[in-house]
Amino acid sequence: MQFFRVVPLGVLVGMILGCGTSSDGISSLKEGKPLANASGSDPLDEDKPFVLGDLVPPFDPPSLEQLEEQVAAGGGWVDRPVLDSLKLLRERQAQEPLLASVKEALALRNDSEEDNAKILSALGRLPKDDGDVNYAAQITRATPQALNKQNPLLASSTTEFEVSSLTGFGLFGFDWNFTPYASSDAVTSWRTSKDGLYDKVIMRDDLLWSDGTPITAHDIEFSFKVIMSEMVPVPAQRTGTDAIKCVKAYDNRTLVFFHNEALETNVWNVNFSIIPKHVYENSIAEDPTLSDSDYHVQLEESPVTGGSYEVVKRNQVEILLKRRESAYMFDGKQVRDKPFFETVRLKIMRESSSRLLGLMAGDIDEMMLTPQQWDAQTNSEDFYKRCTKVRGLVWTTFSFQWNANTPFFADPKVRQAMTLAFDHEEMLRVHRKGLDQPCTGTYHPSSRWYPGSGNAVGLRIEPVKQNLEKAKQLLDEAGWVDTDGDGYRDKEINGRRRKFQFTIVMTNLPERIALCELLAENLDLVGVECNVKPLESATLQDKTQKKQFDAAFGGWGTGADPDTSENIWGSGQARNFVNYKNPLVDELFEEGRKLPEARKLWKDLGVWKDPELRAYLEIDPQIAEAKPTREDCYAAIHAVLWRDQPYTWLFCRSAFEGLSKRLRGYNFSPRGIMGYGPGFGSIWVPQTD
Amino acid sequence: MIVEREVMANETAINAPRAIGFWSEAWSRFRRQRLAMTALIFVLFLALIAIFSPAIVGTKPLICRYKDHLYFPAMGYFYEAWENPIFKADGIKNSYPNMKKNDPESWAVWPLLYQDPLRRVKDGEWAGVSGNVRNKSPNRLNLFGTNAWGQDVFAKMVHGTRIALLIGFVSTGIAAVIGIVVGAAAGFFGGWIDWLLSRAIEIMMCIPVLIVMLALISIIEEPTIWHLMVVIGVFGWTGIARLTRAEFLKLKQLEYVTAAKALGFRWPRLIFRHILPNALAPIIVPITFGIAAAILIESTLGFLGIGNPDKTSWGRLLSEGKENLQMWWLIVFPGAAIFLTVLAYNLIGEGIQQSTDPTLKASKH
Repeated sequence: MQFFRVVPLGVLVGMILGCGTSSDGISSLKEGKPLANASGSDPLDEDKPFVLGDLVPPFDPPSLEQLEEQVAAGGGWVDRPVLDSLKLLRERQAQEPLLASVKEALALRNDSEEDNAKILSALGRLPKDDGDVNYAAQITRATPQALNKQNPLLASSTTEFEVSSLTGFGLFGFDWNFTPYASSDAVTSWRTSKDGLYDKVIMRDDLLWSDGTPITAHDIEFSFKVIMSEMVPVPAQRTGTDAIKCVKAYDNRTLVFFHNEALETNVWNVNFSIIPKHVYENSIAEDPTLSDSDYHVQLEESPVTGGSYEVVKRNQVEILLKRRESAYMFDGKQVRDKPFFETVRLKIMRESSSRLLGLMAGDIDEMMLTPQQWDAQTNSEDFYKRCTKVRGLVWTTFSFQWNANTPFFADPKVRQAMTLAFDHEEMLRVHRKGLDQPCTGTYHPSSRWYPGSGNAVGLRIEPVKQNLEKAKQLLDEAGWVDTDGDGYRDKEINGRRRKFQFTIVMTNLPERIALCELLAENLDLVGVECNVKPLESATLQDKTQKKQFDAAFGGWGTGADPDTSENIWGSGQARNFVNYKNPLVDELFEEGRKLPEARKLWKDLGVWKDPELRAYLEIDPQIAEAKPTREDCYAAIHAVLWRDQPYTWLFCRSAFEGLSKRLRGYNFSPRGIMGYGPGFGSIWVPQTD
Repeated sequence: MIVEREVMANETAINAPRAIGFWSEAWSRFRRQRLAMTALIFVLFLALIAIFSPAIVGTKPLICRYKDHLYFPAMGYFYEAWENPIFKADGIKNSYPNMKKNDPESWAVWPLLYQDPLRRVKDGEWAGVSGNVRNKSPNRLNLFGTNAWGQDVFAKMVHGTRIALLIGFVSTGIAAVIGIVVGAAAGFFGGWIDWLLSRAIEIMMCIPVLIVMLALISIIEEPTIWHLMVVIGVFGWTGIARLTRAEFLKLKQLEYVTAAKALGFRWPRLIFRHILPNALAPIIVPITFGIAAAILIESTLGFLGIGNPDKTSWGRLLSEGKENLQMWWLIVFPGAAIFLTVLAYNLIGEGIQQSTDPTLKASKH
């Protein structure tokens, strides 16, 4: 069974800026645009009647026959993958050589790349057959907060996303390569029209909500309308979803998504959180908040869910989820894989040190280790008695972020100087314990959209090395010089002499504070005073969203699609906290979204028209008449950003996992061992244990 | 005759045994208390460490001659601007041993140990000495080991003494000034002033200090250790004020005060010249305890990581230990330092109480 393997695409971009104590430090929010709406929306008119789906522009969908005719005229349907992600993983593993036996792997100490690969290879395997699995097993994980909302539409904290990934129903998912698919657990067929304007999905007829009512196409249509209703306070859910023109259920199983434009990103837009129509259709008009009325409060206590688990107990100490039988049984027969765990226990633990103690004592089965814990606290006999550890590359990048709206960082030269003044080697070797890779820009070097990895952008980006003399020179060129001999640079701005003195903000976690102190120490040497101000995570999030900071230290997880970073770099976008503005980048994002045939030619793009920039990007002049691929567009964005240095990119964080020796089946994706398909769904406990 | 009488009077004055003053009597009594004396010596020892911290351990020369000028870079540990900017401009700040490269004629007097409280000492900084390794237990180079970022714990401890003592003195100094002024005014003037000030004291006592402190620190744009001192001081004066008030209520009834009043002295003179010196003994006791409490509060805040604690704060070291339980040296050394310092101040306070309280004095003899 794989409902739980379908990762809600609501969890696209992980933001790390503000969430210090979560297990992975990533709070998952949907893309950023709506955040601006959330903070700046007009007060709603209380007397206005509730209209379901009032944000959807009027559109009268054709009948199914008319639609079929239209699509046939436009070239017909194209089949899209309908997959079982466990099967997919099993097929992958069948191709991979087994590097060690389970026994060997359990006896290994993870001291080298080789041992890491061996442990992952042996313990990451799926069970050979059902007989191997202990289906009565419980897994205990740590989570940073208590559960406030169970409704997947209202989820906003790490814990809520975690719970809704276990209890929520979804049609789509993506694998470790970020290839999107429809889940065969929920869907029998998925087809896209040749012109890219329609997606047609046929759902299975053996799907049940936890109250026994069938899950139908009407639930998906209803959920779309709910998300697109102004009075429903779920602005974060609307990003992407708002690019859909209409969702129409033609019968219980047939569902068609109508798109405004043929975009590469439509495959992600069709994936939104789903709630049961029969439960909410009569109550939503009375209480569009979905949480205030008595009925909704009651529902929050015992919700109707569609995922493979349901919450049976929740308090300030833990959240207990049990396997839901009706998720894999239908008419007395097993119709889907049975989830591997009978119970999932999420213990609320904030401190990573107490989590580690819990892991070693057997109180929890899995946790994300800090580099310091990986390096110094998990090498003892004591640790290896019950646990083992693995690491993998994830596309989570950390950076110093320079607010271009301040008098200091508007000039790219200053930002370049900051990057050059920082001691990257000390950071990687001492602060990151030599366990992380240097980060060289917004996309990960192993992704297809990184310059030089098989795309038209030839620029080779090398990690930066500290160069104080160059940094001083750039600051001089930018007009920042020490005129009063106090050891700090200054510059006349609007008739006033201003000292180069700014504050950097970060979450108050020791390792982050220490890294910013290293920056302050380095900048002092080039005559720049940097104050380090740790903030509590909620305050930090608030300050960054309101752009009330000079510089910030933080990071971003990866979305499944490169387009998701538009809200970080697009002019005026909600997560563009640093006020980076570049029409060339905006244009490239727009082009990257389009289907290949709709894209502009290279020679018509802004980056091509600037000969200096073209030379910098090292694009072959021969391809002027060709159209850029998606990868080309994002690689060019990456390179332009690297030139402008709106961030000082620091390191790509490896994921360090501490795991109980009884667990099997964990595999890394660029989003860690959980946030993809199958992710958590592939983890199991052997029978013998 | 008159002259004779005067001479006689003078003679009597000369022959009379000199009365031992209150304070010298108290001091001699204090000296006899072994524990209190040990504590006092310990605190003086800490004060010496604090004053001479840059000479004990540091990476900046105490004195150096560079390009024909004398400089005192180590003063930068006390206040950053006291480190001459020429070193920054010449690129030798944080790598002072390189001075010779720029000026072969230069010379320098170095601290006893080449380690830095603020940063990691890197390979080759000091010829023949390897750089600091992170997570290192105490060894020859790092007497108290290193932390997770390879910074020397001994250097942090030594320079942290300055913070601990400073925070104790400054914040309690502020508290004492406010407390004595408010208490003296309330006790001396009485009436509605007393009523008003007493209510103010009571209101202050109802405020949950730690929570207000956290709120204030989060409001301050760039909190420094000085802000912390002021905040601790501003909220820690009520005990002192109440004691002062009580003492003033008692003393102002005495004849010598009435006599002073009769002589036409105005209230400032009465308060500060006549009453306060006699009221001081019982007030010093809570001041001493206040110092201990302030050190503890700073360590607590440092431990909780609230309001950018100073890099050398003992509390901050301790909080690093919390994250790294196996690194005992991050817990034992700062823990012991905080414990001993607070204990010492408490013992001193108790000693002062023993030696100045007439009732306790009576019971002792």
